[in-house]
Amino acid sequence: MIEIKDLYVELGNFTLKIDNLIINENEYLVVMGPSGVGKTVFLHTLAGFIKPKKGVIRYNNIDLTMEPPEKRGFAIIPQDFGLFPHMTVYENIAFGLVIRKIDRNRIDELVKRYAELMEISHLLHRKPNTLSGGEKQRVALARALIIKPRIILLDEPFSNLDPSLRVKMLGFLKRLRKQLRFTAIHVTHDIIEALELADRIAYIHRGELKGVFTPSEFVNTQYAKPYMNELLLVYKRLKQLGIDNVNIVT
Amino acid sequence: MIKIEKFLLTLSIIASLGILFILTPIIALFIAVDPNTLVKTWFTDPLLSEQARNALLLTLEAAFTSSILLMIIGIPLSYFLTRYGFRGKNIVEAIIDIPLMIPHAVAGIMILLAYGRRGILGPLLSVTGIVIEDSFWGIVTAMMFVSFPIMIDTLKLGYLSIDESIELVARSMGANRLDTFVKITLPLLLPSIVAGFLLSWARAVSEVGAILIVAYYPKTMNVLVLEWFNSYGLKYAVSLSFVLVLFSLIVFILLKTVVKK
Ligand SMILES: Nc1ncnc2c1ncn2[C@@H]1O[C@H](COP(=O)(O)OP(=O)(O)O)[C@@H](O)[C@H]1O
Ligand SMILES: [Mg+2]
Repeated sequence: MIEIKDLYVELGNFTLKIDNLIINENEYLVVMGPSGVGKTVFLHTLAGFIKPKKGVIRYNNIDLTMEPPEKRGFAIIPQDFGLFPHMTVYENIAFGLVIRKIDRNRIDELVKRYAELMEISHLLHRKPNTLSGGEKQRVALARALIIKPRIILLDEPFSNLDPSLRVKMLGFLKRLRKQLRFTAIHVTHDIIEALELADRIAYIHRGELKGVFTPSEFVNTQYAKPYMNELLLVYKRLKQLGIDNVNIVT
Repeated sequence: MIKIEKFLLTLSIIASLGILFILTPIIALFIAVDPNTLVKTWFTDPLLSEQARNALLLTLEAAFTSSILLMIIGIPLSYFLTRYGFRGKNIVEAIIDIPLMIPHAVAGIMILLAYGRRGILGPLLSVTGIVIEDSFWGIVTAMMFVSFPIMIDTLKLGYLSIDESIELVARSMGANRLDTFVKITLPLLLPSIVAGFLLSWARAVSEVGAILIVAYYPKTMNVLVLEWFNSYGLKYAVSLSFVLVLFSLIVFILLKTVVKK
Protein backbone atom coordinates (compact mmCIF):
# COMPACT_ATOMS: atom_id res chain seq x y z
CA MET A 1 0.00 0.00 0.00
CA ILE A 2 1.28 3.39 -0.98
CA GLU A 3 0.20 6.31 1.09
CA ILE A 4 0.59 9.97 0.16
CA LYS A 5 -0.14 12.58 2.78
CA ASP A 6 -0.14 16.40 2.63
CA LEU A 7 2.18 16.36 -0.34
CA TYR A 8 3.21 19.81 -1.49
CA VAL A 9 5.56 20.44 -4.42
CA GLU A 10 6.87 23.76 -5.68
CA LEU A 11 8.52 24.15 -9.09
CA GLY A 12 8.97 27.78 -10.03
CA ASN A 13 5.45 29.17 -10.26
CA PHE A 14 3.85 25.77 -10.33
CA THR A 15 2.57 24.05 -7.21
CA LEU A 16 1.15 20.57 -6.72
CA LYS A 17 -1.01 19.62 -3.74
CA ILE A 18 -2.10 16.10 -2.89
CA ASP A 19 -3.71 16.00 0.55
CA ASN A 20 -4.47 12.35 0.84
CA LEU A 21 -4.14 9.47 -1.57
CA ILE A 22 -3.86 5.75 -0.96
CA ILE A 23 -3.02 3.21 -3.62
CA ASN A 24 -3.76 -0.34 -2.57
CA GLU A 25 -1.75 -3.45 -3.37
CA ASN A 26 -2.47 -4.60 -6.94
CA GLU A 27 -4.61 -1.60 -7.62
CA TYR A 28 -4.57 0.11 -11.01
CA LEU A 29 -5.02 3.80 -10.41
CA VAL A 30 -5.54 6.03 -13.41
CA VAL A 31 -4.66 9.68 -12.92
CA MET A 32 -6.57 11.98 -15.21
CA GLY A 33 -6.46 15.68 -15.92
CA PRO A 34 -5.84 18.07 -18.80
CA SER A 35 -2.36 18.93 -20.06
CA GLY A 36 -0.07 20.91 -17.81
CA VAL A 37 -1.89 20.29 -14.53
CA GLY A 38 1.01 18.44 -12.91
CA LYS A 39 0.51 14.78 -13.74
CA THR A 40 4.12 14.25 -14.76
CA VAL A 41 5.34 16.31 -11.82
CA PHE A 42 3.29 14.01 -9.59
CA LEU A 43 4.87 10.85 -11.01
CA HIS A 44 8.36 12.36 -10.81
CA THR A 45 7.77 13.29 -7.18
CA LEU A 46 6.67 9.75 -6.40
CA ALA A 47 9.72 8.37 -8.21
CA GLY A 48 12.00 10.67 -6.23
CA PHE A 49 13.25 12.91 -9.02
CA ILE A 50 11.52 15.93 -7.50
CA LYS A 51 11.78 16.60 -3.79
CA PRO A 52 8.52 17.79 -2.22
CA LYS A 53 8.48 20.86 0.03
CA LYS A 54 6.18 19.12 2.48
CA GLY A 55 4.40 15.84 3.02
CA VAL A 56 5.15 12.13 3.16
CA ILE A 57 5.21 9.22 0.78
CA ARG A 58 5.02 5.83 2.47
CA TYR A 59 5.11 2.26 1.28
CA ASN A 60 3.66 -0.22 3.79
CA ASN A 61 4.51 2.27 6.54
CA ILE A 62 8.11 2.73 5.35
CA ASP A 63 8.76 6.43 4.87
CA LEU A 64 10.22 6.91 1.38
CA THR A 65 9.94 10.70 1.18
CA MET A 66 13.66 11.32 1.47
CA GLU A 67 14.86 8.14 -0.24
CA PRO A 68 16.67 8.48 -3.60
CA PRO A 69 14.87 7.05 -6.67
CA GLU A 70 16.95 3.87 -6.74
CA LYS A 71 15.88 2.90 -3.22
CA ARG A 72 12.13 3.26 -3.79
CA GLY A 73 11.35 0.35 -6.05
CA PHE A 74 9.04 2.55 -8.13
CA ALA A 75 9.64 1.79 -11.79
CA ILE A 76 8.82 4.61 -14.18
CA ILE A 77 7.83 4.28 -17.83
CA PRO A 78 8.07 7.70 -19.43
CA GLN A 79 5.99 8.93 -22.33
CA ASP A 80 8.64 8.10 -24.93
CA PHE A 81 9.38 4.75 -23.16
CA GLY A 82 12.95 5.79 -22.28
CA LEU A 83 14.64 2.69 -23.72
CA PHE A 84 18.43 2.73 -23.49
CA PRO A 85 19.46 3.33 -27.12
CA HIS A 86 22.93 1.78 -26.82
CA MET A 87 21.66 -1.52 -25.44
CA THR A 88 19.84 -4.39 -27.11
CA VAL A 89 16.30 -5.26 -26.09
CA TYR A 90 17.74 -8.10 -24.02
CA GLU A 91 20.11 -5.74 -22.19
CA ASN A 92 17.34 -3.22 -21.69
CA ILE A 93 15.09 -5.78 -20.02
CA ALA A 94 17.96 -7.21 -17.97
CA PHE A 95 19.13 -3.79 -16.76
CA GLY A 96 17.47 -3.74 -13.34
CA LEU A 97 18.61 -7.29 -12.62
CA VAL A 98 22.20 -6.59 -13.69
CA ILE A 99 22.21 -3.59 -11.36
CA ARG A 100 21.05 -5.90 -8.56
CA LYS A 101 23.98 -8.21 -9.39
CA ILE A 102 21.74 -11.18 -9.90
CA ASP A 103 23.25 -14.40 -11.20
CA ARG A 104 23.66 -14.44 -15.01
CA ASN A 105 21.74 -17.67 -15.52
CA ARG A 106 18.87 -16.46 -13.43
CA ILE A 107 18.81 -13.20 -15.41
CA ASP A 108 18.74 -15.12 -18.65
CA GLU A 109 15.85 -17.24 -17.44
CA LEU A 110 13.85 -14.22 -16.27
CA VAL A 111 14.49 -12.11 -19.36
CA LYS A 112 13.32 -14.96 -21.58
CA ARG A 113 10.24 -15.52 -19.44
CA TYR A 114 9.21 -11.86 -19.49
CA ALA A 115 10.00 -11.53 -23.19
CA GLU A 116 7.66 -14.42 -23.86
CA LEU A 117 4.98 -12.88 -21.69
CA MET A 118 5.26 -9.62 -23.63
CA GLU A 119 5.47 -11.41 -26.97
CA ILE A 120 8.85 -9.88 -27.80
CA SER A 121 11.05 -13.00 -27.72
CA HIS A 122 11.92 -12.51 -31.39
CA LEU A 123 13.24 -8.98 -30.71
CA LEU A 124 15.76 -9.66 -27.96
CA HIS A 125 18.85 -9.02 -30.09
CA ARG A 126 17.49 -5.82 -31.69
CA LYS A 127 18.35 -2.24 -30.78
CA PRO A 128 15.48 0.02 -29.65
CA ASN A 129 15.65 2.31 -32.69
CA THR A 130 14.57 -0.58 -34.91
CA LEU A 131 11.35 -1.22 -32.98
CA SER A 132 7.80 -0.04 -33.62
CA GLY A 133 5.91 1.97 -31.00
CA GLY A 134 3.99 -1.02 -29.69
CA GLU A 135 7.15 -3.11 -29.46
CA LYS A 136 9.00 -0.37 -27.58
CA GLN A 137 6.09 -0.17 -25.21
CA ARG A 138 6.23 -3.87 -24.42
CA VAL A 139 10.00 -3.77 -23.93
CA ALA A 140 9.55 -0.88 -21.49
CA LEU A 141 6.88 -2.86 -19.63
CA ALA A 142 9.08 -5.96 -19.46
CA ARG A 143 12.03 -3.91 -18.22
CA ALA A 144 9.89 -2.36 -15.48
CA LEU A 145 7.98 -5.45 -14.38
CA ILE A 146 10.93 -7.84 -14.30
CA ILE A 147 12.31 -6.17 -11.17
CA LYS A 148 9.01 -6.78 -9.38
CA PRO A 149 8.63 -3.11 -8.49
CA ARG A 150 6.42 -1.93 -5.66
CA ILE A 151 4.57 0.06 -8.29
CA ILE A 152 4.96 0.98 -11.93
CA LEU A 153 4.40 4.57 -12.96
CA LEU A 154 3.17 4.95 -16.53
CA ASP A 155 3.22 8.45 -17.99
CA GLU A 156 0.75 8.67 -20.89
CA PRO A 157 2.00 5.35 -22.22
CA PHE A 158 -0.36 5.24 -25.20
CA SER A 159 -0.10 8.82 -26.39
CA ASN A 160 2.50 7.94 -29.02
CA LEU A 161 0.58 4.98 -30.44
CA ASP A 162 -1.92 5.00 -33.29
CA PRO A 163 -5.51 3.91 -32.54
CA SER A 164 -5.29 0.30 -33.66
CA LEU A 165 -2.16 -0.22 -31.55
CA ARG A 166 -3.77 1.54 -28.62
CA VAL A 167 -6.72 -0.81 -28.65
CA LYS A 168 -4.35 -3.76 -28.87
CA MET A 169 -2.18 -2.51 -26.02
CA LEU A 170 -5.23 -1.87 -23.85
CA GLY A 171 -6.23 -5.50 -24.23
CA PHE A 172 -2.65 -6.55 -23.69
CA LEU A 173 -2.31 -4.60 -20.45
CA LYS A 174 -5.58 -5.98 -19.12
CA ARG A 175 -4.46 -9.54 -19.79
CA LEU A 176 -1.07 -8.82 -18.29
CA ARG A 177 -2.66 -7.59 -15.08
CA LYS A 178 -4.49 -10.85 -14.66
CA GLN A 179 -1.33 -12.85 -15.27
CA LEU A 180 1.13 -10.88 -13.18
CA ARG A 181 -0.74 -8.76 -10.66
CA PHE A 182 1.02 -5.48 -10.11
CA THR A 183 0.29 -2.06 -8.71
CA ALA A 184 0.25 0.83 -11.14
CA ILE A 185 -0.37 4.49 -11.55
CA HIS A 186 -1.29 5.26 -15.11
CA VAL A 187 -1.41 8.90 -16.18
CA THR A 188 -3.56 9.83 -19.14
CA HIS A 189 -5.98 12.41 -20.45
CA ASP A 190 -7.91 9.81 -22.37
CA ILE A 191 -11.27 8.74 -20.92
CA ILE A 192 -11.34 5.48 -22.83
CA GLU A 193 -8.02 4.35 -21.35
CA ALA A 194 -9.25 5.35 -17.91
CA LEU A 195 -12.54 3.48 -18.15
CA GLU A 196 -10.92 0.40 -19.66
CA LEU A 197 -8.11 0.02 -17.17
CA ALA A 198 -8.85 1.78 -13.93
CA ASP A 199 -9.83 0.29 -10.63
CA ARG A 200 -10.12 3.87 -9.51
CA ILE A 201 -9.64 7.23 -11.20
CA ALA A 202 -7.91 10.19 -9.54
CA TYR A 203 -8.56 13.59 -11.04
CA ILE A 204 -5.97 16.37 -10.91
CA HIS A 205 -6.71 19.91 -11.95
CA ARG A 206 -4.36 22.90 -11.83
CA GLY A 207 -1.99 21.19 -9.45
CA GLU A 208 -4.59 19.88 -7.06
CA LEU A 209 -6.03 16.42 -6.48
CA LYS A 210 -9.79 16.92 -6.80
CA GLY A 211 -10.87 13.45 -5.81
CA VAL A 212 -10.61 9.71 -6.33
CA PHE A 213 -13.53 7.83 -7.84
CA THR A 214 -14.55 4.45 -9.09
CA PRO A 215 -15.08 4.53 -12.87
CA SER A 216 -18.85 4.51 -12.47
CA GLU A 217 -18.67 7.36 -9.99
CA PHE A 218 -16.28 9.28 -12.16
CA VAL A 219 -18.46 9.44 -15.26
CA ASN A 220 -21.07 11.29 -13.23
CA THR A 221 -18.73 13.94 -11.83
CA GLN A 222 -18.36 17.46 -13.23
CA TYR A 223 -14.75 16.56 -14.12
CA ALA A 224 -15.86 13.87 -16.53
CA LYS A 225 -18.29 16.20 -18.31
CA PRO A 226 -16.05 17.35 -21.16
CA TYR A 227 -14.90 13.78 -21.83
CA MET A 228 -18.43 12.42 -21.67
CA ASN A 229 -19.66 15.19 -23.97
CA GLU A 230 -17.05 14.16 -26.49
CA LEU A 231 -18.17 10.54 -26.34
CA LEU A 232 -21.78 11.68 -26.58
CA LEU A 233 -20.95 13.71 -29.67
CA VAL A 234 -19.64 10.63 -31.41
CA TYR A 235 -22.63 8.61 -30.27
CA LYS A 236 -25.07 11.25 -31.60
CA ARG A 237 -23.27 11.53 -34.89
CA LEU A 238 -23.29 7.80 -35.41
CA LYS A 239 -27.01 7.78 -34.76
CA GLN A 240 -27.52 10.63 -37.23
CA LEU A 241 -25.68 8.61 -39.81
CA GLY A 242 -28.08 5.78 -39.15
CA ILE A 243 -25.47 3.55 -37.65
CA ASP A 244 -26.87 2.02 -34.46
CA ASN A 245 -25.11 -1.19 -34.75
CA VAL A 246 -21.43 -0.95 -35.51
CA ASN A 247 -19.67 -4.16 -36.31
CA ILE A 248 -16.29 -3.92 -34.78
CA VAL A 249 -13.65 -5.69 -36.77
CA THR A 250 -10.74 -6.82 -34.68
CA MET B 1 11.18 23.66 -60.52
CA ILE B 2 13.62 26.07 -62.09
CA LYS B 3 13.73 27.97 -58.84
CA ILE B 4 14.82 24.90 -56.92
CA GLU B 5 17.56 24.20 -59.44
CA LYS B 6 18.82 27.74 -59.21
CA PHE B 7 18.82 27.35 -55.46
CA LEU B 8 20.82 24.14 -55.68
CA LEU B 9 23.20 25.70 -58.18
CA THR B 10 23.84 28.67 -55.92
CA LEU B 11 24.35 26.34 -52.98
CA SER B 12 26.86 24.19 -54.79
CA ILE B 13 28.78 27.20 -56.10
CA ILE B 14 29.08 28.64 -52.60
CA ALA B 15 29.98 25.22 -51.22
CA SER B 16 32.68 24.71 -53.84
CA LEU B 17 34.13 28.15 -53.24
CA GLY B 18 34.26 27.39 -49.54
CA ILE B 19 36.08 24.12 -50.05
CA LEU B 20 38.43 25.77 -52.52
CA PHE B 21 39.23 28.46 -49.96
CA ILE B 22 40.43 25.82 -47.48
CA LEU B 23 42.00 23.49 -49.99
CA THR B 24 44.14 26.00 -51.90
CA PRO B 25 46.59 26.73 -49.05
CA ILE B 26 46.97 23.00 -48.40
CA ILE B 27 47.69 22.32 -52.08
CA ALA B 28 50.01 25.32 -52.21
CA LEU B 29 51.94 23.94 -49.27
CA PHE B 30 52.21 20.49 -50.82
CA ILE B 31 53.39 22.03 -54.12
CA ALA B 32 55.95 24.17 -52.33
CA VAL B 33 57.61 21.14 -50.77
CA ASP B 34 61.12 20.61 -52.09
CA PRO B 35 61.80 16.86 -51.97
CA ASN B 36 65.54 17.29 -51.42
CA THR B 37 65.03 19.59 -48.47
CA LEU B 38 62.36 17.27 -47.12
CA VAL B 39 64.71 14.29 -47.14
CA LYS B 40 67.49 16.40 -45.70
CA THR B 41 65.48 17.88 -42.82
CA TRP B 42 63.81 14.63 -41.81
CA PHE B 43 66.42 11.99 -42.60
CA THR B 44 69.88 12.73 -43.98
CA ASP B 45 71.03 15.82 -42.09
CA PRO B 46 71.74 14.55 -38.57
CA LEU B 47 71.39 17.91 -36.84
CA LEU B 48 68.26 19.10 -38.61
CA SER B 49 66.51 15.74 -38.65
CA GLU B 50 67.05 15.27 -34.95
CA GLN B 51 65.54 18.68 -34.25
CA ALA B 52 62.61 18.04 -36.57
CA ARG B 53 61.81 14.59 -35.20
CA ASN B 54 62.10 15.68 -31.60
CA ALA B 55 59.83 18.64 -32.26
CA LEU B 56 57.21 16.49 -33.96
CA LEU B 57 57.25 13.89 -31.23
CA LEU B 58 57.11 16.54 -28.52
CA THR B 59 54.17 18.31 -30.16
CA LEU B 60 52.16 15.11 -30.53
CA GLU B 61 52.98 13.98 -27.00
CA ALA B 62 52.16 17.31 -25.38
CA ALA B 63 48.92 17.69 -27.34
CA PHE B 64 47.93 14.13 -26.41
CA THR B 65 48.70 14.72 -22.73
CA SER B 66 46.80 17.99 -22.79
CA SER B 67 43.73 16.36 -24.33
CA ILE B 68 43.80 13.45 -21.88
CA LEU B 69 43.96 15.83 -18.93
CA LEU B 70 41.19 17.99 -20.40
CA MET B 71 39.05 14.91 -20.85
CA ILE B 72 39.53 13.95 -17.21
CA ILE B 73 38.57 17.47 -16.11
CA GLY B 74 35.94 17.99 -18.78
CA ILE B 75 33.76 14.92 -18.26
CA PRO B 76 32.80 15.80 -14.67
CA LEU B 77 32.85 19.58 -15.17
CA SER B 78 30.53 19.51 -18.18
CA TYR B 79 28.25 17.05 -16.39
CA PHE B 80 27.98 19.47 -13.53
CA LEU B 81 27.35 22.42 -15.84
CA THR B 82 24.59 20.69 -17.79
CA ARG B 83 22.86 18.68 -15.09
CA TYR B 84 22.75 21.18 -12.24
CA GLY B 85 21.61 24.76 -12.05
CA PHE B 86 23.29 27.12 -9.64
CA ARG B 87 23.68 30.81 -9.03
CA GLY B 88 26.29 32.43 -11.25
CA LYS B 89 26.37 29.56 -13.76
CA ASN B 90 26.33 32.01 -16.67
CA ILE B 91 29.40 33.72 -15.28
CA VAL B 92 31.22 30.40 -14.87
CA GLU B 93 30.37 29.47 -18.46
CA ALA B 94 31.59 32.85 -19.71
CA ILE B 95 34.86 32.39 -17.82
CA ILE B 96 35.38 28.99 -19.41
CA ASP B 97 35.13 30.57 -22.85
CA ILE B 98 37.67 33.31 -22.13
CA PRO B 99 40.57 31.51 -23.87
CA LEU B 100 38.57 31.71 -27.11
CA MET B 101 38.55 35.49 -26.97
CA ILE B 102 42.02 36.58 -25.92
CA PRO B 103 45.13 36.81 -28.10
CA HIS B 104 47.36 33.79 -27.63
CA ALA B 105 50.37 35.79 -26.48
CA VAL B 106 48.19 37.31 -23.77
CA ALA B 107 47.13 33.81 -22.79
CA GLY B 108 50.81 32.94 -22.43
CA ILE B 109 51.43 35.91 -20.18
CA MET B 110 48.42 35.05 -18.05
CA ILE B 111 49.65 31.48 -17.67
CA LEU B 112 53.08 32.72 -16.55
CA LEU B 113 51.49 35.10 -14.04
CA ALA B 114 49.43 32.26 -12.62
CA TYR B 115 51.60 29.16 -12.79
CA GLY B 116 55.10 30.54 -13.50
CA ARG B 117 57.91 30.36 -10.93
CA ARG B 118 56.94 33.81 -9.70
CA GLY B 119 53.26 33.38 -10.48
CA ILE B 120 50.45 33.23 -7.95
CA LEU B 121 50.44 29.43 -7.79
CA GLY B 122 54.11 29.02 -8.73
CA PRO B 123 55.34 28.22 -5.20
CA LEU B 124 52.59 25.64 -4.81
CA LEU B 125 53.50 23.99 -8.10
CA SER B 126 57.22 23.93 -7.34
CA VAL B 127 56.46 21.82 -4.26
CA THR B 128 55.32 19.09 -6.65
CA GLY B 129 58.47 19.64 -8.70
CA ILE B 130 56.62 21.07 -11.67
CA VAL B 131 58.11 24.14 -13.32
CA ILE B 132 56.37 25.42 -16.40
CA GLU B 133 59.00 27.79 -17.81
CA ASP B 134 60.71 26.10 -20.73
CA SER B 135 59.42 22.66 -19.87
CA PHE B 136 57.16 19.93 -21.24
CA TRP B 137 54.57 20.76 -18.60
CA GLY B 138 54.68 24.40 -19.62
CA ILE B 139 53.77 23.42 -23.16
CA VAL B 140 51.00 21.15 -21.87
CA THR B 141 49.68 23.96 -19.65
CA ALA B 142 49.57 26.41 -22.56
CA MET B 143 47.86 23.83 -24.76
CA MET B 144 45.32 22.97 -22.06
CA PHE B 145 44.49 26.61 -21.51
CA VAL B 146 43.69 27.33 -25.15
CA SER B 147 41.87 24.01 -25.74
CA PHE B 148 39.87 24.14 -22.52
CA PRO B 149 36.71 25.81 -23.89
CA ILE B 150 36.69 23.54 -26.93
CA MET B 151 36.68 20.38 -24.82
CA ILE B 152 34.12 21.72 -22.34
CA ASP B 153 31.74 23.07 -24.94
CA THR B 154 31.87 19.89 -27.02
CA LEU B 155 31.15 17.71 -23.97
CA LYS B 156 28.37 20.05 -22.85
CA LEU B 157 26.63 19.65 -26.20
CA GLY B 158 27.06 15.90 -25.80
CA TYR B 159 25.45 15.84 -22.37
CA LEU B 160 22.60 18.04 -23.58
CA SER B 161 21.90 15.65 -26.44
CA ILE B 162 21.28 12.79 -24.00
CA ASP B 163 17.60 12.50 -23.10
CA GLU B 164 17.48 12.99 -19.35
CA SER B 165 14.39 10.81 -18.98
CA ILE B 166 16.60 7.84 -19.87
CA GLU B 167 18.76 8.57 -16.84
CA LEU B 168 15.65 8.88 -14.70
CA VAL B 169 14.41 5.50 -15.87
CA ALA B 170 17.75 3.93 -14.94
CA ARG B 171 17.54 5.45 -11.46
CA SER B 172 14.01 4.16 -10.97
CA MET B 173 15.18 0.68 -12.00
CA GLY B 174 17.56 0.73 -9.06
CA ALA B 175 20.74 2.27 -10.47
CA ASN B 176 22.39 4.85 -8.23
CA ARG B 177 23.95 8.01 -9.64
CA LEU B 178 27.31 6.35 -10.29
CA ASP B 179 25.82 3.24 -11.94
CA THR B 180 23.63 5.44 -14.10
CA PHE B 181 26.58 7.58 -15.11
CA VAL B 182 28.80 4.63 -15.97
CA LYS B 183 26.22 2.41 -17.67
CA ILE B 184 23.99 4.97 -19.36
CA THR B 185 25.43 8.47 -19.58
CA LEU B 186 29.04 7.69 -20.38
CA PRO B 187 28.40 5.25 -23.25
CA LEU B 188 25.97 7.73 -24.80
CA LEU B 189 28.54 10.50 -24.37
CA LEU B 190 31.30 8.54 -26.11
CA PRO B 191 30.95 10.15 -29.56
CA SER B 192 31.23 13.57 -27.93
CA ILE B 193 34.25 12.48 -25.92
CA VAL B 194 36.00 11.40 -29.10
CA ALA B 195 34.99 14.63 -30.86
CA GLY B 196 36.12 16.75 -27.92
CA PHE B 197 39.39 14.88 -27.78
CA LEU B 198 40.05 15.36 -31.49
CA LEU B 199 39.15 19.03 -31.55
CA SER B 200 41.14 19.91 -28.46
CA TRP B 201 44.07 17.83 -29.72
CA ALA B 202 43.99 19.72 -33.01
CA ARG B 203 43.74 23.04 -31.22
CA ALA B 204 46.71 22.08 -29.04
CA VAL B 205 48.86 20.97 -31.98
CA SER B 206 48.21 24.28 -33.71
CA GLU B 207 48.99 26.51 -30.72
CA VAL B 208 52.09 28.66 -30.93
CA GLY B 209 51.53 32.10 -29.35
CA ALA B 210 51.10 31.00 -25.76
CA ILE B 211 53.82 28.35 -26.07
CA LEU B 212 56.34 30.91 -27.37
CA ILE B 213 55.92 32.87 -24.15
CA VAL B 214 55.64 30.06 -21.62
CA ALA B 215 58.06 27.50 -23.03
CA TYR B 216 60.17 28.36 -26.07
CA TYR B 217 62.20 25.28 -25.18
CA PRO B 218 61.88 22.37 -25.65
CA LYS B 219 60.89 23.34 -29.19
CA THR B 220 57.53 22.23 -30.51
CA MET B 221 56.88 21.98 -34.23
CA ASN B 222 55.29 25.38 -34.42
CA VAL B 223 58.14 27.08 -32.65
CA LEU B 224 60.63 25.27 -34.88
CA VAL B 225 58.71 26.27 -38.03
CA LEU B 226 58.93 29.91 -36.96
CA GLU B 227 62.59 29.59 -36.11
CA TRP B 228 63.58 27.86 -39.35
CA PHE B 229 61.51 30.30 -41.36
CA ASN B 230 63.49 33.16 -39.80
CA SER B 231 66.94 31.59 -39.97
CA TYR B 232 66.90 29.11 -42.93
CA GLY B 233 64.05 30.47 -45.04
CA LEU B 234 60.75 29.30 -46.50
CA LYS B 235 61.94 25.98 -47.97
CA TYR B 236 62.92 24.60 -44.59
CA ALA B 237 59.80 25.88 -42.87
CA VAL B 238 57.66 24.29 -45.59
CA SER B 239 59.43 21.00 -45.18
CA LEU B 240 58.50 20.93 -41.49
CA SER B 241 54.95 22.17 -42.00
CA PHE B 242 54.25 19.61 -44.68
CA VAL B 243 54.78 16.70 -42.33
CA LEU B 244 52.71 18.29 -39.59
CA VAL B 245 49.77 18.97 -41.92
CA LEU B 246 50.03 15.52 -43.45
CA PHE B 247 50.11 13.92 -40.03
CA SER B 248 47.11 15.88 -38.77
CA LEU B 249 45.13 15.03 -41.88
CA ILE B 250 45.84 11.32 -41.47
CA VAL B 251 44.92 11.34 -37.78
CA PHE B 252 41.65 13.17 -38.46
CA ILE B 253 40.59 10.97 -41.34
CA LEU B 254 41.45 7.81 -39.41
CA LEU B 255 39.59 8.84 -36.28
CA LYS B 256 36.57 10.10 -38.19
CA THR B 257 36.17 6.77 -39.94
CA VAL B 258 36.61 4.94 -36.65
CA VAL B 259 33.94 7.09 -34.99
CA LYS B 260 31.51 6.52 -37.87
CA LYS B 261 31.68 2.82 -37.07
N1 LIG C 1 11.39 21.63 -13.57
C1 LIG C 1 10.34 22.48 -13.62
N2 LIG C 1 10.49 23.77 -13.23
C2 LIG C 1 9.45 24.62 -13.28
N3 LIG C 1 8.22 24.29 -13.71
C3 LIG C 1 8.01 23.04 -14.10
C4 LIG C 1 9.06 22.06 -14.09
N4 LIG C 1 8.56 20.89 -14.55
C5 LIG C 1 7.26 21.14 -14.84
N5 LIG C 1 6.92 22.41 -14.57
C6 LIG C 1 5.60 23.02 -14.74
O1 LIG C 1 4.66 22.27 -14.01
C7 LIG C 1 3.42 22.25 -14.69
C8 LIG C 1 2.91 20.85 -14.79
O2 LIG C 1 3.68 20.13 -15.71
P1 LIG C 1 3.44 18.59 -16.02
O3 LIG C 1 3.43 17.84 -14.75
O4 LIG C 1 4.44 18.20 -17.02
O5 LIG C 1 2.00 18.60 -16.69
P2 LIG C 1 1.18 17.34 -17.23
O6 LIG C 1 -0.03 17.23 -16.38
O7 LIG C 1 0.80 17.68 -18.64
O8 LIG C 1 2.06 16.15 -17.16
C9 LIG C 1 3.63 22.93 -16.02
O9 LIG C 1 3.10 24.23 -15.95
C10 LIG C 1 5.13 22.96 -16.18
O10 LIG C 1 5.50 24.10 -16.89
MG1 LIG D 1 2.95 15.01 -18.70
